[in-house]
Order: sequence, then structure tokens, then C-alpha cells
Amino acid sequence: MTKENFKPGIERQYSDSPEVDFSHAREMAPYLEEPKAMYVGAPGKRGYLNLGFELDKTGKSILRELDRRAPLIVQQELYFDEELPNMPCVYILSSGGPNVDGDRYTQNITVKKDAMAFVSTGAATKLAGMIYNYSGLVQNITLEEGAYLEYLPEPVIPHAHTRFISDTCMTVHPTATVCYSEIYMAGRKHYNGGELFKFDILSVCCHGHRPDGEPLFREKFIIDPSRDRIRDIGIMDTYDVFANVVVMTPKECADKIYDATTPFIDKKNRLAAGITHLPNGSGVLFKVLGMEPGPVKKIVREFCSTVRQTVKGKHIPEEFPWR
Amino acid sequence: MNERIIQLSHLLQFSDATFPVGTFSFSNGLETASYEKIVTDSDTLEQLCRSAAHQAAFSDGVTALQAFRAAVAGDYDRITAVDHELILFKMNDEARMMLTRMGKKLAELAGKMFSSSLISRWLEDIRADRTPGTYPVAQGLVFAHASLTEEDLFTSHQYGVINMILGASLRCVRVSHYDTQEILYRLAQEIPVLYEQARQMEFKDMNAFVPQMDILASLHEKGSMRMFMN
Repeated sequence: MTKENFKPGIERQYSDSPEVDFSHAREMAPYLEEPKAMYVGAPGKRGYLNLGFELDKTGKSILRELDRRAPLIVQQELYFDEELPNMPCVYILSSGGPNVDGDRYTQNITVKKDAMAFVSTGAATKLAGMIYNYSGLVQNITLEEGAYLEYLPEPVIPHAHTRFISDTCMTVHPTATVCYSEIYMAGRKHYNGGELFKFDILSVCCHGHRPDGEPLFREKFIIDPSRDRIRDIGIMDTYDVFANVVVMTPKECADKIYDATTPFIDKKNRLAAGITHLPNGSGVLFKVLGMEPGPVKKIVREFCSTVRQTVKGKHIPEEFPWR
Repeated sequence: MNERIIQLSHLLQFSDATFPVGTFSFSNGLETASYEKIVTDSDTLEQLCRSAAHQAAFSDGVTALQAFRAAVAGDYDRITAVDHELILFKMNDEARMMLTRMGKKLAELAGKMFSSSLISRWLEDIRADRTPGTYPVAQGLVFAHASLTEEDLFTSHQYGVINMILGASLRCVRVSHYDTQEILYRLAQEIPVLYEQARQMEFKDMNAFVPQMDILASLHEKGSMRMFMN
């Protein structure tokens, strides 16, 4: 734990979890003021999670490594997936409620050789309104040979004047598969008469690499409602929910998933989805637009089921009714 | 001799819709948008053009400027680096195909128009699969050779993106030549703001958020419509 003099007689305490700093990101330059309440890096404001899945002696996948700092919580793994009963499933929880001004998070997920895992969040990630600073998330997802990971968090709900930036680095062996979804709502749709696209900025980057460092793709999107005409044709048009699913998988699996997925625009139900190949034969990218999170989550889940069917020969079971 | 007149003439030539790099083959999602009745008139066409131009500014536009600077500095390694970086960023098969086809064509065409060791070497590397050969990089190299400016390059890049869609629109949307020229004139007013941002960006800053265009591209990619290649 590092300490420095804050004010005479007062010492700042810092969390011992890794520092997360996005001050180099051009788009966050207007949001670097120190919060007037709890400072950046204070214990409880710098969450950390390190999850390591591997095979045990019997060949069962287990959560071997678990290290966490508040406000992030992961308890023991459960085996509730009826189709893959040997797959450890964990939910990431946050004891702090929404992400607030100056929060920082690091989440590392490693799946070792031939192991598999399912990771989600316990509830939607709410991004509270911010005044001085931003909320940042760094994720490092590492998959060794033959590993398999489904990382399907609940949607992100950006409140008015929130600022959020994330960087997800996926280092994936050519024989491994990761299915990673992100669902973003336009805001609190039914709060205060509707709070859509009232946030300050969302900056989301996901990049894939091989274990030797070879870069495979880099996707970055910035949604800045003050800069962009979000409601224009081509961007969100009249849709309120956006989902992005990145699947890194061997080329033969990617081709099968691509062939088995039909893009569509359903005007009646106001849903649309599309699929394309990631660069360098590294997988596929699936995008969904919709009006409400429920139907979008359903389409994402069905798509992930196609991924699982292709790679593991099993479907994803129906979602629990309380989710 | 007034060099600027020659430069401006080159600028017009490189930006012309009839410049033979294959622009006419592509619609940037318009063909599907028209079929799906998402783009139906001048207003919706202008929206799609704006979305396409803005996302291109912060990806292709940034790459073109980076390649231009590398060409001026004679830094060949940097040229191939930005070429590879743009492919990493292009999340769509048809977009990658469009960029590499047009890039190679422009490099070949440049070889006919003038002699540039930098472009010859780059074309050789494209043919040997050592570099992807994207269009924005080709534009950067050609504009640098013709002693044009960064502003010239960026304007031509934006004009090209917008005019590609407008050209296609005359074949698949109920709009007139008057409509398309009005759109082009209006969107030109937005280029300076985009340039101010794009010129300060590098690879790590590149960003694009056009999910509806991505879905339209996917429908085209897996569909049977083929008036245009994207």
C-alpha cells in the first residue's frame, strides 16, 4: 500500500490493486479532475479481480485462483449449467452499487489449457452520473491451448453525465475459443421520462492478440452524444440498445458459426443483427440493435449457443427466469 | 510557374469520381439500406453519408494522414505499419476487400502516372502479400508525391467517401442530381471540424461507431444483392 501526504496530518491510503489510468486517452482529457469526494485509487474505489480457471487432477475445470479487492466480489464457482455440468460458472458482483466518479477496475480472467468457464455479472452494471472524473475498466482475458470461455455480462446502463472507458485485451491461443458479449443501453429509458444518450462519453476498446504478441484486431468505439448525431441512419437510428459479441475461435469454427448465423432486420419487433469475420481469420463479430434489453439479450444468448454448439457440441440452456 | 495550380489540378484529378480506382463498384451499405427502406429520400441519404464520413474520418482519414506524414519523412517501415494497423481496425470483410482493391489499383495507377520508388516498393510488397495495400495509405503516398497538403488529402478522402455513396444513390434511391449536390455542399461544411480532430489522432485513437451500417454490411455480405460490391 502506497501512501503520500494529502493534507498536513492526513495520509492518503491507496488500494494495493493495480493502477488503472486512462489519462492518455484523448477522449477522456476533459474528465481528469480529481473527484471532490473520495480520491481516485482509494480503497474501495479501485476494484480488482483475478480469476484463474484450470483442470484439476480428474480433468474437471475449477476456479483455482481467486484474488479480489472491493468493491468486486466473486464467491466460489458453481456448476449450474445443465448442458456443461463440468463447467465452473461465476458471477461478478459489485458491493458498491453503480460505478461512481473516479472508480477504477481491473478484471483478469485466465483459462488454462483445455479448461472451460462461464463468467457473467449478477446484475446490470450501472454507471452513475459523474462531475469531475470518469470510471475506467481494464480487462485482460487470457486463454491457453484448447481453452473455452463464455463471458456474458449483463447490460451496461449509462446514466446522464456518466463517463466510462474500458480496454479489453484478449490473448487467445489459436486453438482456444472466447465468446465475449457487451450490451449497452442508451440510458435509463424509463427514468424521469427517459434518459437516453444523456451520458457524456462511452469509450470501449477490445483488441485481440496471439500469445506471441501478434495483433489480430482492434475495435474501438466512442459514443459521444455531444459530438455525434447518434440518432442518424447508420449509427443508432431509432434503436435504444446495442450489443457487441466478439468471438475469437479457430478459423474452421468461425466459418461454421458464420454460416449458421443469419443477419436480419426485423422491423415489426424493431430488432436487427449482423455478423462478420474478424480480421486475420481470428473469429467473428456479431452485433445486435434493439429497443429493450430483454430481446437483445435473448438474441445474444442464442448466438452464443451457436458458438457453444460449434465448439463444444452443446447448446446454452434457457436463461433462468429471474435473470 | 504557379505550382499551386498544378497541385490543385492533381487534387481534382485524384478526387474525381471517374478516377479509375473502382469507386463506382461500392455503395458503403447504401444498396441494402435502400432495399430495406431505411434510406428512402434525400434526408435519410444525407444521414447515412454523414455517418459514413464521420466514421471514415476517425479511421481511414487518420491512416491517410499518418501515411502521408510517413511518406514525407521517407519512413517506409511506418508506411507498412499504418497499412497493417488499418486492417486490424476494419471489422468487416467487404470493407477490407474494398480498401485493399482500391489501394492496389491506386498504387498501380500511380506507377503509370509518375515514378516513385516509395510507391513501387509498396506495390511490390502488396503483390508479395507483405503488406495489405489499403486505399488510405495509397492516397497518403500519392498526395505526398504530388506535393499536396494534409488538408488537401483529408478533404479528398472525405469527398471520396461521401461522393461514393451519393454516386451509388443515383442508381438505387429516389433522389435527383440536385439532391445529391445539395448534400455534398452541406456536408463539406463539416469536414474542417473532422480534420481538426483526425489530424491529432493516431492508431490508438482510431474509433468508429456505426452499428446500423455494420448490420447493413453484414446483410449485404451474406445476401444476394450485387449491384455493388458493398
